[in-house]
Amino acid sequence: MSAIAAKPGANAGAFQPVPSVIAIVLAIILVVVAYFLGSAGILAGGAMLVLQTLCLIILGAALIAFGVHFVPVGGAPAAMGQAPGIATGVAMLATGAGLAGLFGGAWAAELGLGVALASGAIGGALMMAITCLMVNISYVFGMGIPAASGKVLKDPITGDLQAAYKSQGTEGHGLPFISYVGGVIGGLFGGLGGTLIYIELLNFYNVGLPALGFVGAEGINMLAVGLAGIFAIGMFLVIAVLSAYNITGTIEGPHDPKFKRFPRAIVAAILASAVCGLVAMLVVALF
Amino acid sequence: MSVKIEASHDGIPHNKVMVIGAVISLVSLYIAILGTTLGVDYLAFFGGIAAIGALIWGNSTIKKLCSYGIGTGVPSAGMLAFGSGVIALLFASTLSGISIWIVPVAALILGLVVGLFLGWISNSVLNMKIPVMTRSLAELAAVGSLALMGLGAVATGFVGFMDIATFDFLGVTVYNASYLGAGIIAVSFMLGAIALQHPFNACLGPGEKQDRTNMLAIECGFLSMIVMAVISFAFVSLIAAWISLIVAVIGWGVSYVKYVALSKRDAASWLDAKPFSDSEE
Repeated sequence: MSAIAAKPGANAGAFQPVPSVIAIVLAIILVVVAYFLGSAGILAGGAMLVLQTLCLIILGAALIAFGVHFVPVGGAPAAMGQAPGIATGVAMLATGAGLAGLFGGAWAAELGLGVALASGAIGGALMMAITCLMVNISYVFGMGIPAASGKVLKDPITGDLQAAYKSQGTEGHGLPFISYVGGVIGGLFGGLGGTLIYIELLNFYNVGLPALGFVGAEGINMLAVGLAGIFAIGMFLVIAVLSAYNITGTIEGPHDPKFKRFPRAIVAAILASAVCGLVAMLVVALF
Repeated sequence: MSVKIEASHDGIPHNKVMVIGAVISLVSLYIAILGTTLGVDYLAFFGGIAAIGALIWGNSTIKKLCSYGIGTGVPSAGMLAFGSGVIALLFASTLSGISIWIVPVAALILGLVVGLFLGWISNSVLNMKIPVMTRSLAELAAVGSLALMGLGAVATGFVGFMDIATFDFLGVTVYNASYLGAGIIAVSFMLGAIALQHPFNACLGPGEKQDRTNMLAIECGFLSMIVMAVISFAFVSLIAAWISLIVAVIGWGVSYVKYVALSKRDAASWLDAKPFSDSEE
């Protein structure tokens, strides 16, 4: 293909090898720095706890970044029934689904890691399932439009034809079945990742705060809950918005061609969460 | 992808707004800290002024960033700013163990550092290719941390980590009723994020004027400060809380009236639609 034939911005979805490698190397350097801070005693709890916390924070962030790509984000065109998806931006949708999951997981934090992660994932998925259902109800019964995708001819799961129901001049409208399923999967991953970040930070602060001179186990737990909660919310929003930049605002679900861009978002999430996670852990550093 | 649409040609250049906002914010924070070191808490309302200075700066940055069409809407920039800002702020506040005077500058610098990472990620790894992206995200993270510190200073009167993590209840130090432990920081997080993203989101368009957008930013800042002043009744002395509340309400009223006047100035025409129709006429 000649350079003239290439559309401007055609490589917007391309994977960037050099910056991605730099990003991964930077993230590894930050993890190593955290390890040495832990072994030097600046971060409480020892090197292994520090390493485990930061690595699982990075894993949680990668899950969030992956999950955002499943959620059918429609934006303003969807509000006018001209594009499929839920009629709002990623920032709002990811906050809704992720925080619902995070709160669900936080309530179950005392019951162990497995139960907390499961309830976080189910909380996020339930939130997205209810949102998608109500969105379709208001599209179908309120605006009087059927659900049809503009990106694929057949629904990959049900095999229903899409083109026959698509209005002229639009990119599709409503939430087709594949978008609904994508939304639920996105909520599942988002809630899981958010809860993982929260639980890891909570455990770390429960060890780190007494070393700073805070006394009284029950009060410290409350303080750790507050700190871990606000950091998990902050990191969740950062990762979700970076993933939204990756899909340039709107996506239909897992069948959308933009879905293939997810490796970039995962690389971005790894470095962003390494930076944010290390700074968040340094809050309880002993200087 | 990176086609620039000029939001408004008129008015003060961005660099000047940035310096003005940062100076207002830092000076106000230092006045608030001066109050706590002198042992009085009625200077806490300067935290609100600091938040407003930061919001004016951030508003100008958002205008610059969003004129490129980032595709995710203006609110996402506000959420990113405060998401990264809260992390920088809380780490900076722990540096009060060294000296309380370095906390505001540390919040500014740490915000810039965290934001630089995020800006580089979005421009290079995510291939956004927006010239102002790296600088804008760095500025926004600094704005987020300064605005949060200001709102926290209104609520509690303090900026240090130990002071916002503990609460003296009838002579007993408890953690679960503190600014951090009770989760009040989440309230200021959302109040600040909405105050940051709303002004340009509401005013954008071909008729956008800088003075009107800035006035809305000031109005949103005072509106957030009202809520924080009400919360501050639990933390600071009664007189300090009343001072904060009165300053916030007066500031909000003045800026609201001015904003409505500026909106009428820029409108093609306007009709005063009264809430209740006069049935006698």
